Amino acid sequence: MTLQATRHQAPDEATALELFHMREWTDGLPVVIPTEERVVALLAGVELEPDVIIGKIGPSQASVEKIAINAVMAGCRPEHFPVVLAAVRAVGDSEFDIDNMQSTTHGMGPVVIVNGPAREVCGPIASGWGALGPGHRANASIGRALRLCLMNIGGARPGHGDMAALGQPGKFTCCLAEDEEGSPFTPLHTAFGYDADQSAVTLVGVDAPHSVMMQTNDDDPEAHERILRVVAGSIAIPGGNNTQIGNGPVIVVLNPIHAGVLANAGLSREDVCERLTKLAVTPNAVMRGWATKRRIPEGDGDLPALRGPEDIVLIVAGGGGMYSAVFSGGLAGSTHPVHAPIDFDFSCELPGLPPT
Amino acid sequence: MRDGAIFAKAGLPAVAIVTEAFVELAAFTAEAVGMPAVPRYVLPHPCSGTGDENLARVAREAAPGIIDLLEGHTR
Repeated sequence: MTLQATRHQAPDEATALELFHMREWTDGLPVVIPTEERVVALLAGVELEPDVIIGKIGPSQASVEKIAINAVMAGCRPEHFPVVLAAVRAVGDSEFDIDNMQSTTHGMGPVVIVNGPAREVCGPIASGWGALGPGHRANASIGRALRLCLMNIGGARPGHGDMAALGQPGKFTCCLAEDEEGSPFTPLHTAFGYDADQSAVTLVGVDAPHSVMMQTNDDDPEAHERILRVVAGSIAIPGGNNTQIGNGPVIVVLNPIHAGVLANAGLSREDVCERLTKLAVTPNAVMRGWATKRRIPEGDGDLPALRGPEDIVLIVAGGGGMYSAVFSGGLAGSTHPVHAPIDFDFSCELPGLPPT
Repeated sequence: MRDGAIFAKAGLPAVAIVTEAFVELAAFTAEAVGMPAVPRYVLPHPCSGTGDENLARVAREAAPGIIDLLEGHTR
């Protein structure tokens, strides 16, 4: 296997790390130094030559080798790598509009959602307690690998190739799996035509998640309606791009209890998205008090936050309880959710990465 | 757990009640407040939001065990 990347020399790992920081090849945190040995080990889990182009990010072609280098830096193990490749492939889909996402002043970034057997085989990728938070190696490393690709291949340096006015912590890493076993709904990827036993990533460009608190009560016959109204209200927030500009896909992460209440009321995934679309509105009279020149509605009625149910990516994840989450959308609707299959064949034993 | 520890430190019989999902956290918290042996009773998870009838059933089933612990019996 021949690698093309330029080799740099350093007397030890600590010096190499300082070189990486100095050259702005990191996200600000320490990285695993991508030695040739480590990059080759990472490539053991995929049947692609290093020079195969997976997609284009900004001005650069993302080769398997470049992606592997960034994945090593992010802390990935070989079994994580097929998910990273799939995520980069999805980013290269023109429907995602990554160039616009990199250059917007809005603090947006891709969220990687994993479905199918890869959740275990390529992970484990967490979908339960704290799935969006720290403490899960695969989630953290896969999301970070994608971010490092966006920075090092796609040129997204703050204030230069990445013009987010503030950014947001989810731009360091944001990857989770859907809790398919805890979900009463069909898995997300089946909505895009995959079989349930296939593995796929879904990427959505959104801003930071905000918490949706709802204490349900099984005695309450209206509990499902309350959940729908509160989630919809969390989509149509005053400062969200969906309200101020309109359009833009959002992610709704329902915890298993909220999802169960909705399913017990007879609602399917599609029904929930339909209802949320209708409810995620701002009364025109209220909007006139909030609106900028971009979107000032006239007359009575309501201003919708979403174009249609297809603007909602609904998944089930998290520990059972009172908290779900909504990620607001952006880019005035020029970005769309994208997906890609995760191809892996781990019939051979994967090597461990050489120690740091 | 912290309430249980405060009562226990004050010399009052105390039992901390936690649901299954919080058992590990309860042990950690008990350790953190310097009272690792604070008695605790474990309820199913979730309890909140499961309706008055279910809550009454859980309470009925749990009460004897909680009283046992309050009386100083170990479980």
